[in-house]
Amino acid sequence: MIRRLFRDSKAVLGALIVAIVLTLAAAAPVLAPQDYTETDLGGVWAPPSGEHWLGGDKLGRDILSRLIVGARVSVIAAGSVLAVTFAIGVTVGMLAGYLGGPIDTVLMRVTDVVLAYPELIFAILVTAVLGAGLGSVILSLSLAWWPGIARLTRSLVLALRHEAFLDAAVACGTPTGKILLRHVLPNIVPALIVRAAIGVGFIVMAEATLSFLGIGVQEPTPSWGGMIRDGLEGLRTDPYLALFSSVALGVTILGFNLLGDGLRDALDPSVMDR
Amino acid sequence: MRALAVACVLAAMAIAPPVADAKMLRVNIVADPAMIDPITYSELVATNVMRPMYEGFTRTRDDGASEPALATGWSFSADNKVLTFRLRDGVRFHSGRPFGAKDVKYTFEELLRPGNKGGLNAPSLKTIAGAAEFADGKATGISGIRVIDPLTVEIDFVRPDVLFPIYPFQFMDSGTVAELGPDWMTKASAGTGPYKFVRWTRGVEVEEAANPAYWGGAPKIDGIHFLVVPSGDTALSMYDAGELDYVEVPESSFRRVLADDRYARELLKVGKAQVNYLGMNQSLYAPFRDIRVRQAMSLAIDRAAMIKGLFNNAAIPLNGQVTPGVAGFHDGLPPLAFDPARAKQLMADAGFPDGKGLPTVQITSTAPFKDEITYLAGQFKRVLGMPVEVNVVERATHIRAMNAGEEALFPWGWTADYPDAQTFLGAMWTSGSPYNRTRYKNPEFDRIMADAQLAGDANKRYALYGEAEKVLMADWATAPLPITTYVALRKPNVHGLTETPFGFSSFQPVVID
Amino acid sequence: MLTYAARRLAVMVPTLAIVVLLVFFATRAMPGDPIGVMLSDHSADLVLASRLRAEYGLDRPLGEQLGHYFLGLLTGDLGLSFRYLHVSVAAVLASGIRVSLTLATLALALAVPLGVAGGVLAAVRRNRWQDNTIMATMIGMISVPNFALATFLVYLFSIRLHVLPVAGWGTVAQAVLPTLVLALPAAAYIGRLARSFMLEVLRQDYIRAARAKGLSPTAIVLGHALRNTMVPLSTSIGVVFGGLLSATFVVETLFNIPGLGRLAIDSIFGRDYPVISAIVLLFTVFYALINLGVDLLYAAIDPRIRLA
Repeated sequence: MIRRLFRDSKAVLGALIVAIVLTLAAAAPVLAPQDYTETDLGGVWAPPSGEHWLGGDKLGRDILSRLIVGARVSVIAAGSVLAVTFAIGVTVGMLAGYLGGPIDTVLMRVTDVVLAYPELIFAILVTAVLGAGLGSVILSLSLAWWPGIARLTRSLVLALRHEAFLDAAVACGTPTGKILLRHVLPNIVPALIVRAAIGVGFIVMAEATLSFLGIGVQEPTPSWGGMIRDGLEGLRTDPYLALFSSVALGVTILGFNLLGDGLRDALDPSVMDR
Repeated sequence: MRALAVACVLAAMAIAPPVADAKMLRVNIVADPAMIDPITYSELVATNVMRPMYEGFTRTRDDGASEPALATGWSFSADNKVLTFRLRDGVRFHSGRPFGAKDVKYTFEELLRPGNKGGLNAPSLKTIAGAAEFADGKATGISGIRVIDPLTVEIDFVRPDVLFPIYPFQFMDSGTVAELGPDWMTKASAGTGPYKFVRWTRGVEVEEAANPAYWGGAPKIDGIHFLVVPSGDTALSMYDAGELDYVEVPESSFRRVLADDRYARELLKVGKAQVNYLGMNQSLYAPFRDIRVRQAMSLAIDRAAMIKGLFNNAAIPLNGQVTPGVAGFHDGLPPLAFDPARAKQLMADAGFPDGKGLPTVQITSTAPFKDEITYLAGQFKRVLGMPVEVNVVERATHIRAMNAGEEALFPWGWTADYPDAQTFLGAMWTSGSPYNRTRYKNPEFDRIMADAQLAGDANKRYALYGEAEKVLMADWATAPLPITTYVALRKPNVHGLTETPFGFSSFQPVVID
Repeated sequence: MLTYAARRLAVMVPTLAIVVLLVFFATRAMPGDPIGVMLSDHSADLVLASRLRAEYGLDRPLGEQLGHYFLGLLTGDLGLSFRYLHVSVAAVLASGIRVSLTLATLALALAVPLGVAGGVLAAVRRNRWQDNTIMATMIGMISVPNFALATFLVYLFSIRLHVLPVAGWGTVAQAVLPTLVLALPAAAYIGRLARSFMLEVLRQDYIRAARAKGLSPTAIVLGHALRNTMVPLSTSIGVVFGGLLSATFVVETLFNIPGLGRLAIDSIFGRDYPVISAIVLLFTVFYALINLGVDLLYAAIDPRIRLA
């Protein structure tokens, strides 16, 4: 499987981009050449130079440092949303799929309600209630995304429901919790990984969109979406901010999407060509 | 494929063809007005759209002085408690009905009528005799307003208010509601101004047409389109593309406009009748009770750097709380310095060396002022060692919290409602004013301001304002912040259009080649 | 078929009722005071504020407000806007609905043929340069956020080349850029699906049989494979449409288009509760109806699906 992934040059490119973004995010405090909050009104919209490699923003802050810290913010947001959605979604999906009956009905009706909204609109609504900020962005995207994971998990579990090894485990009197963790979960993990890998790009984009609309991450914390919006003001005179932050965001999402496609092809041969 | 063709045809039908207008002035407004009638009127976008349609006793000239409009003259009684207005003869409303004393009385009563949403101008009527009883539903009319003859109206005051003639009232036609019904404002305008209402397409534009019967002379253009363009950057792009004739440039686009030579010929710059200040609420953040801390805050701000870096030199420093150009401004106040060493010393004297012992405080404002508060927070942190968090909130939340006295530290401003320093000093710094957002209280200041409101003689009044302002600044009640100038662009073929310290003019003298 | 549609609609009702409930409480829980917005800078007038609060029913208990809102919905009355005095929500929304639906329809009308053509071509030319180019373009298209794409297109076509207007709504030229920005990512999404469905179809026995009979590749693809690709593809139209509705929030704001998306963002910042509720509700209903329509369509084209 790994070998198949490595034969796929697009996936390798994706993995490389993702690795760079993750490294930047993890080591942001060390890598950022300057304090990302340090304003310098003498150097507003500074062009790229030895002092500011990618120039300065409209408060004279170092764009490169803010991009690097912005990577950390994106990764934290995406990672948290993935963790929360999968924790809730997989638990709910397994319980609904395995136990069936009224529990299944109730849980699925709950997902129906959330899925009745287009995802981003639901997230915008929740963010509007919670107020702007990284925490509420994570919470609102998680609330919007978990039902999809729950539905997927449920369908995967239903497909396993009548496999011989499960019947055997039940016949041996294995407790339900143990069956779910030991027998069901390992069998659905590959499909879940594929879903997660494909989802990351969308989550990064959703976070950026909320911040772009002004209801996401707030100053002085940099978010790529917010930086693009700030950069639009200077698009004609000083396009560096808009340009560099758009590229950072676009390339990152591209990296996650390429890797996601590659993982899907490698882990799930039945949908190899999708 | 057929579905696609059908969709395209449908779409093409839904999109109206472009309208070619010969002599229509196209200007931008940042949002839909919240209302378009003179009774509920209460906000700035509505001001811009309504100023061409409605008029009051007086109007503000471009130089900031008042001149008679619908009143040709007025006189106060000896004790200033009775005010008699002589109204302009021959003025007609957009409906064709003549304007007169009955319309003044009608407008004032509608502003205070229980159940009406009387807006910005309603509080100005509080000092009229019988106003309170009428507003409480205990009287059928305001007893203090008397129609002497069709062109003379006499008003009794409980408490004299020498500024009453210059308040920005908008008189409306008393026959309109009877003719057009309660939703008249969606159909017509009921004013006397040089332009009249045509239509309001929500989210798109407000359209007004020239009033050929205007008493001051018919406009020389056919009308005005106020196009709703929320983004200043988009508005500027539309101006570049010839889709707007006149555009007010937002601060965020100053750099783009001022640095570009091709705009030089089309540029208009005018000082704003607005003050900006740093609000410091002494009851919410204990260190502000020490005058040395308040002074240190002011000393920590590099106003020259703000003017250059944030506003591209299209701003002026303010050393007090009255803007140059507004009657009652005094030039003598000492300039406010940027002196980090002295600020640090004052903090140490106050018992907070390098900020040790200072609790965390939030600096709050709305999204358009995000850069300003980010800069100020950094400055207070760096110079004073004060732990300041940036808190960007939505406008309504901010205004409510400020009015309720719930914000500790905030930069905000006040735009003049009328051309007299009372508009600034009275509203923001007298104790008990609903807009005293820092809850500043100084009995001496209050006493001087109360005296000023009774001073019919303008020069005496202005001298009192000067005294009050000195008290305010000696107290370091606030740290005044720079005010930006209005920056606007006007196409070369548009003439007679001036930006005033008070915003848009009435557009009456505009000519388009 | 009709019974099925009726049943689906019946199931939708309780879900939508809960959606209404959630939206109602969400808008009430938003920070900020709508009366403060109405009064703007002069919100310190407490008498006026309490008078307005009473007039708009905001001083009533929450339960009563909710009951009133539900009753209003049943009679088609969405209430009064908080931001525009004297104006009903229906009047505020009226023109926006037409604008947003026009925009979404235009985008869909462009995205579907573009995506299907691209996807089919890529599948037919699998692993050749055409496939690689198309797939690379498509993954790029779904990776670039719409606001970044819009910025780039405005910069290129409006500011540099002066061929299209920067913003606005009303002329055909003004519709070009926003439609493109909405359509391109949707087309890429559809194209990627179309390619994989087509590849799956091309592996089927009946295609091999047709090929063995000597039918030309074009005839096979257009005559047999395409129809069977469209069947599974049609189920994804709902997702695409939901994405388009969400994207209108950004695109309408950027291009200053007076549709529901921009109105929604303005209303969130302006605390216009009744308008926010109505827009979310409308979008949710559109979304539900489209999904229902897709299911029905799916059943209609694929005889194997039984609507029991």
